Amino acid sequence: MSTVLDPKIPAGPLKDKWDTYKNGIKLVNPANKRKHTVLVVGTGLAGGSAAATLAELGYHVKSFCIQDSPRRAHSIAAQGGINAAKNYPNDGDTVWRLFYDTIKGGDYRSREANVHRLAQVSNNIIDQCVAQGVPFAREYGGLLDNRSFGGAQVSRTFYARGQTGQQLLLGAYQAMSRQIGKGNIEMFARQEMLDLVVVDGKARGIITRNLVTGEYERHFADAVLLCTGGYGNVYYLSTNAKNSNVAAAWRCHKRGAYFANPCFTQIHPTCIPVSGDYQSKLTLMSESLRNDGRVWVPKQVGDTRKPLDIPEDERDYYLERRYPSFGNLVPRDVASRNAKLATDEGRGVGETKLAVYLDFADSIKRLGRDVIEARYGNLFEMYERITGDDPYKMPMRIFPAVHYTMGGLWVDYELQSNVPGLFVLGEANFSDHGANRLGASALMQGLADGYFVIPYTLGNYIASNSFDKLTGLEAEFAEAEQSAKSRIEKVLSIKGTKTVTEYHRELGRIMWDEVGMSRTTDGLKKAINDITALREDFWQNVLVPGEPTTFNKNLEFALRVADFLELGELMARDALEREESCGGHFREEHQTPEGEARRDDDGFTHVSAWEFGENGHQLHKEKLDFDNVQLTTRSYK
Amino acid sequence: MANSMNITLKVWRQAGPKAKGGFETYVVPEANPHMSFLELLDVLNEQLIKEGKEPVEFDHDCREGICGSCGVVIDGQAHGPQQRTACCQLHMRHYKDGDSIVIEPWRAEGFPIIKDLVVDRTSFDRIIAAGGYISANTGAAQDANSLPIAKADADLAMDFAACIGCGACVAACPNASASLFTAAKIAQLSLLPQGDPERKSRAIAMVDQMEQEGFGDCSNHTECEAVCPKGISVSAITKMRREYMKAVIG
Amino acid sequence: MSLSNVLRSPVGKKFVTGITGLGLVIFVLMHMIGNLSMFSGDDAYNEYAHFLASLGPLLYAVEAGLVLFFLFHAITGVRIWIGKRKARPQGYDMYRSAGSPSLQSSSSRSMAITGIILLVFTVFHLISFKFGPGGPGNGDPAYMTVIDGVEMRNLALLVREKFATTWYTLGYTAIMLLLVVHLRHGVWSALQSLGAMRPSITPAVYTIGGLLGLGIGLGFIAMPLALYLGWI
Repeated sequence: MSTVLDPKIPAGPLKDKWDTYKNGIKLVNPANKRKHTVLVVGTGLAGGSAAATLAELGYHVKSFCIQDSPRRAHSIAAQGGINAAKNYPNDGDTVWRLFYDTIKGGDYRSREANVHRLAQVSNNIIDQCVAQGVPFAREYGGLLDNRSFGGAQVSRTFYARGQTGQQLLLGAYQAMSRQIGKGNIEMFARQEMLDLVVVDGKARGIITRNLVTGEYERHFADAVLLCTGGYGNVYYLSTNAKNSNVAAAWRCHKRGAYFANPCFTQIHPTCIPVSGDYQSKLTLMSESLRNDGRVWVPKQVGDTRKPLDIPEDERDYYLERRYPSFGNLVPRDVASRNAKLATDEGRGVGETKLAVYLDFADSIKRLGRDVIEARYGNLFEMYERITGDDPYKMPMRIFPAVHYTMGGLWVDYELQSNVPGLFVLGEANFSDHGANRLGASALMQGLADGYFVIPYTLGNYIASNSFDKLTGLEAEFAEAEQSAKSRIEKVLSIKGTKTVTEYHRELGRIMWDEVGMSRTTDGLKKAINDITALREDFWQNVLVPGEPTTFNKNLEFALRVADFLELGELMARDALEREESCGGHFREEHQTPEGEARRDDDGFTHVSAWEFGENGHQLHKEKLDFDNVQLTTRSYK
Repeated sequence: MANSMNITLKVWRQAGPKAKGGFETYVVPEANPHMSFLELLDVLNEQLIKEGKEPVEFDHDCREGICGSCGVVIDGQAHGPQQRTACCQLHMRHYKDGDSIVIEPWRAEGFPIIKDLVVDRTSFDRIIAAGGYISANTGAAQDANSLPIAKADADLAMDFAACIGCGACVAACPNASASLFTAAKIAQLSLLPQGDPERKSRAIAMVDQMEQEGFGDCSNHTECEAVCPKGISVSAITKMRREYMKAVIG
Repeated sequence: MSLSNVLRSPVGKKFVTGITGLGLVIFVLMHMIGNLSMFSGDDAYNEYAHFLASLGPLLYAVEAGLVLFFLFHAITGVRIWIGKRKARPQGYDMYRSAGSPSLQSSSSRSMAITGIILLVFTVFHLISFKFGPGGPGNGDPAYMTVIDGVEMRNLALLVREKFATTWYTLGYTAIMLLLVVHLRHGVWSALQSLGAMRPSITPAVYTIGGLLGLGIGLGFIAMPLALYLGWI
């Protein structure tokens, strides 16, 4: 088992590991690089930066995205910022501190070596992005501005208004565009990866479907980079984009790649609450709002008064009460769980009672409306647009929503999955955030993987292996294409009575209720049964309209939901298996008397990597060694 | 649900790029003021699927106004009646019971229709690929703070960089010009010292590509600014013109 | 890049219409002010016309320049108009402006039509007046006069005759109103095309441009109207 799950961490002291690795790798002759084709699936921060960088190095890159343009990947929606250990504010930040905060924030369920490398290259990312023309916020002196984010004790977050993800993505997109213009990247937009092709044990190609014409295409290469993001949409309602999905990763999983820690999901505390059944997605409000907003609910159960009619002494500022030292700035998982507790007790607010207040009245009184407007104007505007309420006058209503998935395909230090030649980058892999991701570190990881890690590790793989010439006519390609085709024919032929959205919504409800913010043995078992039944029903009774040979969004969604129906079960199973509470994974059986999460470091300091098998999943464990940090209980009291 | 509204939709349907399109009229009896415009289309589509009809295809993704995927002309206005709002963020509380709404795709030679309300905007990608970047290979960058940039310039560059590439500027322009889109990128990069070495070649190449994609010329109607979900100023176009003329003159 | 390529580019085309447009604005402004000399009497008007005619080669140069400006302005404008038709082969079933900050107006949308009408008018206008009786190659003695011992064309007489007719005066007035419509968008647009605008001054310049257009138009209408009504 351990031989299969070798994370290939370089020897030596933590701070030297990445250099040691780079010094020891094999290099590809520059003249030979163009002879090597690399397929990059997904064009978010990870995929975009990888495609651009590899093309700059001289590889022949083919890039794929399901949207109409590589610029639309959901990285674009990240608001808050990107962390780096630049220490420009001179407030004591170091690579070590960023590493330590990230490891601790992840509740000690991530790999030391990966996280340290992430902290190390964080500074290069900022340099690179500035060189590309990313308009980060600046101070009057012309130097870059930093802010404190997500409760960090130092100001290490770089930002571009509330649109940091957009600006970083456009930077990567423009770098890609330059290579597309030069002919070094072949871009395939509106193409969906339907399967991975493994030849002689190595990932050598993919089958795609042209989403406009329905045609199947075979693409072959020497390596496949999966940069397809997270699987938060398994909950139906999430802050993910409507097209975000797990399908490509799940197809790789079914071709042998292990899925690691699938139950680690992040529920973000500050989202705009659900307003009705028609709700199609949830909108995040940046976490920075908690810097000046106070979270509260009425003390009394069933209080239906308007917020302004509830006197001060009848309000429960529960985060400030329970966590006096961090108050409203506790990490995301803690804030979310406490919101759930409050609404579970019947103290929720708004029409649906599934919301808590985030109140700026005190800050407006203290700092003035102007200051609040300068800090959060665009967020307040967005809130008003969606809800019709004015947050300058009325407290915002917020509720947690699924936001990010820390789990993903298992990769080693080189970001290579257990299927040789299949590399997994960004949110699609499991590697850096453990059981909980800190704010402003997703952008950092996506770009670190794409700009600064994969160019080395991919080169090492290519230089260390030989590749038979492929034509795309091999039996493996034919088989993969045929299986994709049959699946599409099957789903279209059912012509049942329930729509794809109905199934998706139902799956989401099961996932949210039982595999959401707090989980129990019974609930998880129930979820497994319910999902299995729902999946069987799906394949008997789904109604997918339209043709396979034209643009057909419902068909796309049907295939993705079919994969979510398999993933959801694995998530529940993983959650059931992990008999502890850590980060975003809270098992009610494992809590302290005060209701805080209780980790089990003896039993669960490992990565759970699941292998797909026709007769069910098999669990492999990668032990996590902590040689440099002391495992402590996170306390924000 | 309370406040349910009866909404009539007159929607452009077109089976494929070469097919002849036409309007179809549908009624959504239970729209809700809190739902977004795209959620209204979702409800319509569920209704159509149940009736055995093909749903209306439209592009959408993030539904929070930043990815730029969505965009339709609603009652004659790109993204609908609310300014600075992509149609995914337009909410039905701006309509009332009994309203009738006309929905059309972006119409431009540079944006051929794929199906129903879905158009092909790859022309925008080609305009960026022509020069809408700074050539900085990964790894070659110097320290981020080694080149200070005046806050005013950085802020202005950010104003232009906010473009989401939705194409509303083209859709609303009486000339179907892509000037605001092209200019926003030229203006952003020309404000930054990093963009300086390539500013001439960039302006020329992007303007040329814009023309080759079949977009019209700008006649200064400034309708683009009014419909831009990010409110990007036409001063970008002024800047593009200056950059271009400077580049060709010397 | 060759000059012709530049002038054919989307920016170049606007540069051409902008420069020539501004030149033509100056021309019509001067022309209008010259016309007002009629209010000082027929002799003043004739002397002004004679002064212009006596400039000789300088006048020819200016006239040649004007012809070029008209041609470039018109041809480029028509090219832009053709380009816009090509850029949207299928129009909208329903189309509405989103309102301010859009400066789209009936004026901005009709530039090609008003422009073409103005061009056609200009040709007839030249035939009527410049090349009319007493003009070059048409030395009708009935349209000559002597002022202070100098023989010159009695253009004022021709003008009086023309604007004695109702249809002619009305038609002229209508065309001048079209000029106002053309300039309402044209003046601001020319400056914007030349890259001379900033958001902070745009509203003011747009308003001033419109008022300038209105002033020019009314100035042109004033003299014929006064003649028709017998005020002068």
